[in-house]
Amino acid sequence: MTALLEVQHLGLSFDYVDTLHDVSLTMHDHEVVAIVGDNGAGKSTLLKTIAGVHMPDTGRILVRGEETHISSIKVANALGITAIFQDVSFCMNLDIAANIFLGQEIASGITTRDDTAMHLKARKILSTLTSPLSAFRSMDGLSHGEMQTVAIARAMLNDPEIVLMDEPTASLSVIQTAQVLSYIKELRSQGKAILLVCHNLPDVFAVADRIAIMRHGKIVAIHQTHETTYEQVIAEIAGARHVNEEFVNNDTVPVPHKLIDRYN
Amino acid sequence: MALLFDAITKYGAMTQVELAENTGLSSSTVSILVRRLVEEGTFTTTDTIRSGRRATLVSIARKVGIGVGLYIGRSQLSICVTDFSQTTLAYHDHPLPFGHKPDSTLIQALRLIHETIENIGASVEEISAIMVAMATPIDWKHQQIGVRGILPDWDDVDVVAHFAQSFHCPVFVDNDANCAAVAESKRGAGVDYPNFLYVQAGDGVGSAMFINGALYRGSMGLAGEIGHVQVDPFGDICVCGNRGCLDTVVNEQRLVSVLSITHGSLTLDDLIRRASDGDAGCRRVVSDAAVRVGTVIAQTCISMDPGCIIIGGALCEAGDVFMEPLRQSIARLLFPDAVEPILIISSPISSTSVALGAALSALELAPTGN
Repeated sequence: MTALLEVQHLGLSFDYVDTLHDVSLTMHDHEVVAIVGDNGAGKSTLLKTIAGVHMPDTGRILVRGEETHISSIKVANALGITAIFQDVSFCMNLDIAANIFLGQEIASGITTRDDTAMHLKARKILSTLTSPLSAFRSMDGLSHGEMQTVAIARAMLNDPEIVLMDEPTASLSVIQTAQVLSYIKELRSQGKAILLVCHNLPDVFAVADRIAIMRHGKIVAIHQTHETTYEQVIAEIAGARHVNEEFVNNDTVPVPHKLIDRYN
Repeated sequence: MALLFDAITKYGAMTQVELAENTGLSSSTVSILVRRLVEEGTFTTTDTIRSGRRATLVSIARKVGIGVGLYIGRSQLSICVTDFSQTTLAYHDHPLPFGHKPDSTLIQALRLIHETIENIGASVEEISAIMVAMATPIDWKHQQIGVRGILPDWDDVDVVAHFAQSFHCPVFVDNDANCAAVAESKRGAGVDYPNFLYVQAGDGVGSAMFINGALYRGSMGLAGEIGHVQVDPFGDICVCGNRGCLDTVVNEQRLVSVLSITHGSLTLDDLIRRASDGDAGCRRVVSDAAVRVGTVIAQTCISMDPGCIIIGGALCEAGDVFMEPLRQSIARLLFPDAVEPILIISSPISSTSVALGAALSALELAPTGN
């Protein structure tokens, strides 16, 4: 089975900082991969590089097995990749449907918009997400969680195969978090590959199939969610070395190679 | 009218304009119907502001208090709030990690209750009772976990005390299958049956018996724990301490593990989805599980003689892939010439039944006139 998305040895530097260093990751359909790590570990940068915001200095990105050059968000969209960024901006004076279609309005004729078609489509997308929002509601007055729903609905517009989400549950209430996590599970069951950058470990463990831990621009470990624990993931985020009992009183035994590979 | 009712039950309080949008009815029709339902006492209306304009917020009228049902499952936290007319006022599902920790889950549950109550415009003082449904056998008499080791982290957690501290109302804890059976008896497939067996088949198997119109709990509350009926004397040791229990054969880990070589890493949802999509390997695993569950159900039926068997839980969502082999394996073991064969029905409310049933039984147990 070819991977939907394959990132190989990605490298990216801003000035003298190695923001991404030899990052490799594959994603399949029906899969949620979460990236966790400290602030500045490169999580968002990796997401933005796949989304076409940054061009990598080195490495390749393969989509459905074919090498691509994702030079802009438009190119990413055409390849079936959509990103939902952390700081989404909306036109607060317009309604939800207009915001979902912002910049991609359906035209009827050459100069006019087809508002009816847009509302119908918007309603359809919201209902596939099982969202109670009405497409006619104005953005003004929506809660944080409802805005996140609109952002997800907007991302679904072109029916992408790969969805990248940056902190989708940050600063949401419990009910809103519940909804967003349910949307993620729903998208996964529809066959999409979802890359999730998230700080909240319970949320990550609730929806992710695999968890990738980033530290200083590198992926230091990738685990199957059911084979790892909070404790292990937190230790790896913090860069702690696992102290193995049998090595404690024995200076002659070197640190196992596996650990050296992971942390250096 | 049913349309309006469904829309508000599903999505909560909304304005008349939103109601019209959601139901596809004209705004004047909505306005007339809402007025009639307010007169009947089904809806109440309050003034609100939407998009800077005055609007009428329509919600379902609450009659004397509300019941809160909470479901702490193996990988989900759900809440359902109902009133005494048995109307669902709110329902939410929160996915949780497998093996979630009691401390964070309980805090999340508290916040979820507060937020949900606030969301429907009620106050916590209106709560008449709280029922917590848990995915483990419950000692009903002592209101604590009945069999240790099944949810290991929770063994010494006093769930009732945790909630009783924060809310001034009775708090109960019960088994998830028991709660789901209550939902079936009031709002699901069991409405017309005073005697039925409810079976929850998913990540593990549980059941509950309705006898003469009431839930039969047994002397301790452990009645119907068919997940711990032995199906293989030489099988794996079960978390309950016994050997070869049905739960060791039908649980998420076991079911997906037999597919790991051919299908890679799957979840129970993946397995069920692929089985319904026609994948031969997944169908085989689901149907073999159905046969194992069916054998135990049939034995229970011989002792109990129910009018119908209601199947809920994740596996029933696989549809005929699960239900057909289940029907066959049950039929093979029951009286072949029974005058009236036992009906086997898949639950119409399986995705929400546990939390719903918890809320309904909370109200049933609440002191009246409160």
